[in-house]
Amino acid sequence: MQITGRYTDGHTADVRDVTCRIESAGTSLATLVILDADDSSEITRWRAADVFPQHAPHNQLRIGIHGRPVGERLVVRGFEQVRAAQDMLPALAEKHRADRTRQFKLAGIATVALASVIGAYLVGVPLLASRVVHLIPAEWETRMGDMVSEQIESAFSENGGFEVCDPDPDSLANRAIARFADAAMEGTGSPFKTSITVIRSTVPNAFALPGGRSFYFSALLDQTESPDEFAGVMAHELGHVAYRHGMEQLISTAGTGLLIGFVLGDMTGISVAGGIGSALIDSRFSREAERQADQFAADVASRMAFQPVALADLLERVAGDDAFTRAFALLSTHPLTAERRAALDALTVSDSANLITPFTDAEWQAIKSMCGKPAANSGENSGTSEPEGDNPAKNSDKNRSPS
Amino acid sequence: MSDSAAEGRVGKVRFTGDRGEMFGILTRGYLMMLPTLGIYRFWLVTWKRRFYWSHTEIDGDALEYTGHAMQLLIGFLFALAFFLPLYILFFYLSTQRPEIILSGYAIIGVLLWFFMGYALYRARDFRLSRTLWRGIRFAQKGSAWSYAIRRFFWSILTLVTLGLAYPFMSASLSRYKNTHTWYGDRQFTFEGSWKLIAGRFYGFYFATLAVIIGLVVYIGSVHGFSSGRRVGTDGIVILLTLAALALPFLGYFAIRAAETARMLSAIRCGAARITVKLSGLTLLWQFIVYSLMLSVCVLVFSIIAGIGASSLILEISRQGGDFDPADFARIFQSSIISVIALALGYMVLLASFAAMAELYLSLGFWKAVANGTTIENVDSLRSVRAGAEDTSLAGEGLADALNVGAF
Repeated sequence: MQITGRYTDGHTADVRDVTCRIESAGTSLATLVILDADDSSEITRWRAADVFPQHAPHNQLRIGIHGRPVGERLVVRGFEQVRAAQDMLPALAEKHRADRTRQFKLAGIATVALASVIGAYLVGVPLLASRVVHLIPAEWETRMGDMVSEQIESAFSENGGFEVCDPDPDSLANRAIARFADAAMEGTGSPFKTSITVIRSTVPNAFALPGGRSFYFSALLDQTESPDEFAGVMAHELGHVAYRHGMEQLISTAGTGLLIGFVLGDMTGISVAGGIGSALIDSRFSREAERQADQFAADVASRMAFQPVALADLLERVAGDDAFTRAFALLSTHPLTAERRAALDALTVSDSANLITPFTDAEWQAIKSMCGKPAANSGENSGTSEPEGDNPAKNSDKNRSPS
Repeated sequence: MSDSAAEGRVGKVRFTGDRGEMFGILTRGYLMMLPTLGIYRFWLVTWKRRFYWSHTEIDGDALEYTGHAMQLLIGFLFALAFFLPLYILFFYLSTQRPEIILSGYAIIGVLLWFFMGYALYRARDFRLSRTLWRGIRFAQKGSAWSYAIRRFFWSILTLVTLGLAYPFMSASLSRYKNTHTWYGDRQFTFEGSWKLIAGRFYGFYFATLAVIIGLVVYIGSVHGFSSGRRVGTDGIVILLTLAALALPFLGYFAIRAAETARMLSAIRCGAARITVKLSGLTLLWQFIVYSLMLSVCVLVFSIIAGIGASSLILEISRQGGDFDPADFARIFQSSIISVIALALGYMVLLASFAAMAELYLSLGFWKAVANGTTIENVDSLRSVRAGAEDTSLAGEGLADALNVGAF
């Protein structure tokens, strides 16, 4: 049996037409003898066990040889010749299979490695972010909070202004709020100077910024019916401050972007798939942050006499747990109100008789009228509840923690 | 067939691949990317290169690609190690003042532009050093940093001169790349200059400029700049505007064809001379076919998405009577199947776009260039000897594993 082909020795580019035959076929000493096609002189001998296939179109065979120059090749063309060569050199098929198995294993190992990185990330980032957050200097976070606050303010000023309801820090209302904030943060070891500012806005919302600043909007205050509700929301926001959730979220968002970039091979993170993936993963973390802040509010409530579940009452009044909100629960940064309400109910303080209330009646009246509205009409404003109104602050910075 | 008898013989380059085979490679590659979480993309790139290389026959002998997917994967991990500090810097910047953010991003953008030159050179090095023809390896020497610096300053000059420096940049970079390219022990030389594409480039450049100036002058003199109403219906204005848009569009294909063909034709390897013929019309035609195929993809996709959405609406109306967008959103969002369908649909759309670009632009370009190429004195290449490292037994050993070429 003979085959014809093209041979290169890997030393020079002088390609030659050759004929080949096998000696001692079927034994471990099987040898391929390569002869010049013109004068039948012997060019070289290949040990049949040392051949390996290289990629070639399906009607060709490209054969290399171990232990020789990298470029030493025999190329066989045509289906009959290819079949004859495969019969002569069974090592080709074996090595082809072995290489395929090896490639599958490598791809498999790489996939498992990647999957475990993703798994570790999903489990580990809330933990990691809350650890890393402590490595970030508090001054840095405060500076960042100041900057975000400035951005929000400039966004507001385009839209009529960012107006503090009661600019006098020594007014009855502001002193009561500051006293509450200090009492709530007591014992948390938080490095931040907290401040809660009530500002005029038509959007019923409240949020905390990194670095200790929290804001309570007048539209929300209008709908706040009891000191318990007010204290509940503030304690919740202070929870975000104490846990440094704003910073934590920033870190986890950055980490998610990195992971998505790694999977998609797109380090810029601007692809739609990257965006959707990040949103899904990050919403998990922020739901966890909301639960922590609720727990913080409940802890504060156990020291001061108010019911944290009032927070849920207010949330329900403002947002409502309508079908539309539930529909987007998957991508929402808020946990389900129904779910959350149940959790808050479970946190209700039972033994509050011998605790002092967070605000006196006079203080509460002062707070309610901070933005120039008398306390009596609080129930009549439910018509203005538009939780997803076009608030410029909502879009100006994603780093804030919504209530 | 002795060497002396074949002196001066012209060798042809022939591309033997077809679209069907590439379609198979792409389909299998995209499917495999799902269970491997995208890792298979390195294998897909390897398979694509094997396809192109093994189907390109130069004077009867095909090229061989010897690279492995793992080398690309390792290269990616190294690139990641480079990106990580940049990413942390990005993160830090994003927490700063807007002015700092902007200037920081600008600096990083400029840095990335510079490093892109480095990466391109290393990637070419990776591909050439894993390309065999007649058992002899190609190589690229020279310095990737030196190339990156040249590319960086030439591109700034091109920007500053509003594109006028482009032919000089193109010739300079081609010269650097090609004069540092080796086939075995034989170095390439480059005999081209900016003049090769100057005629076509400046022709289109100044023709476009002239049409725009003519348009402005015409509008100014006939209509006056203040009255805008009747300008829109003037035939000459419409004609000139169309010409101002069409010239750069057609110029792109004409200049790209000339640049590719003439720069490649300026390459010599010893006595062997490369000649490449490529028409701008071929490239234009490929682009038209590609655009049509893309439209077909979008059409098919819209029809499928439309059927999916309408069957969902049908399902809702069967359940509860009248149609409510909130209900629709709820059912759509709450079912995990529709989320998966959405994600899969997005991926299929992306994959089909990428496949069309590969099948009609990349493959078409490669095929047109290959089939338009001839090599004079091809037999002079028979005396090329392998470079020193190529005859060593550890050809694909440690050196290859550590070569961070492909980004």
